[in-house]
Amino acid sequence: MDIDIQELKDGWCGRQFDEVSFELDVREMLEFAIACGETQPRFTDPEHPDFQAVPSYASRFHGRRAMPEDFPIKSHQGFDAGKCVEVHAPMRPGDKIVARSEIHDIYTKTGRSGDMLFIVHRMRFTNQDDELVSIVDWRLVQNRVSRRAPGEGGP
Amino acid sequence: MILDLHSHSIKSDDGRAKVENYCQWIQRKKLALDGFVLTEHRQFDATSDYRKLEDEYDLLILKASEVETEYGHVLLFGVNEDLQHAFDFSRIDLPLAEVVEQARRHDAIAVPCHPGRVTVGMCAHYETRGPVEGVEVIETLNGGSRGTENEEAIALAKEYGYRGVGGSDAHIVSFIGRCATDFERNVANMEDLVRELRAGRFEAVSYKI
Repeated sequence: MDIDIQELKDGWCGRQFDEVSFELDVREMLEFAIACGETQPRFTDPEHPDFQAVPSYASRFHGRRAMPEDFPIKSHQGFDAGKCVEVHAPMRPGDKIVARSEIHDIYTKTGRSGDMLFIVHRMRFTNQDDELVSIVDWRLVQNRVSRRAPGEGGP
Repeated sequence: MILDLHSHSIKSDDGRAKVENYCQWIQRKKLALDGFVLTEHRQFDATSDYRKLEDEYDLLILKASEVETEYGHVLLFGVNEDLQHAFDFSRIDLPLAEVVEQARRHDAIAVPCHPGRVTVGMCAHYETRGPVEGVEVIETLNGGSRGTENEEAIALAKEYGYRGVGGSDAHIVSFIGRCATDFERNVANMEDLVRELRAGRFEAVSYKI
């Protein structure tokens, strides 16, 4: 499939396609912190005056859709290339969070395995005061047709 | 003067190191580096200002680019506004001959990197597509190379008479300085670096364990 990256970017990037809301639960925050191996009391002790979720906490949430409806590339056609969490403010128990999803970027790059297409799915998390608390960028990578010349080896 | 000519910060999509953390690592580990060059993928970072870090850590921090061509990846030293308008840095199918020529025309220099690497290095492409005119310098020592990739690069340099530089290709802090380039003369800025690369007054060095 030959994809026009600029056309994809122009058509899809920056358009919100999903919104979910939820309330932060102290027990779940604690379990996540312990699973991460966290030892600092502000993340592991709910009685601590500054108790809050660990910085990567927002990465555990998903929207209702991984990609916009009718988006030409389906999430199951690629694989997870990792998440990047940008923390802006603490997430605390009882916070009412709204998470909005958009395609943030689409780009190509080349590596040992050939050409790759990256889709950056961004979720922006705001709290009950409409304060930005976290941004999570999830990268999905898809291997594209290799540009190797005929007869050239390699994996 | 020893400079790591190939490194990536969080400005690159796959970079996991902040520039300050590179500086801290160099200082903490007492690495024999006088500075490093940030070669962000498919872009030129015109906005970041590292002068404070340079002063604080007594290091030279220069900015360049790593672009992608049909012959593999290429470092561009001496990127200026004119060169940025000469072609689209974000493309992954740039013609190497044009990149080399445009760099020369705009007082920069194009240095194909990790030539021994599969798909994104020029060695294999030379076998199938033939050599490209205008290449003067290639990266013969790359800190991220596997197996015999650096040996292949050195052999290519020998065969075509290219001079070889070294760079770590660091994406994480602890990789900075694994390979570098030892310059005979002082390099104070990008202009000096391009001049010394053109003059061939350097040698690639490896600190890989």
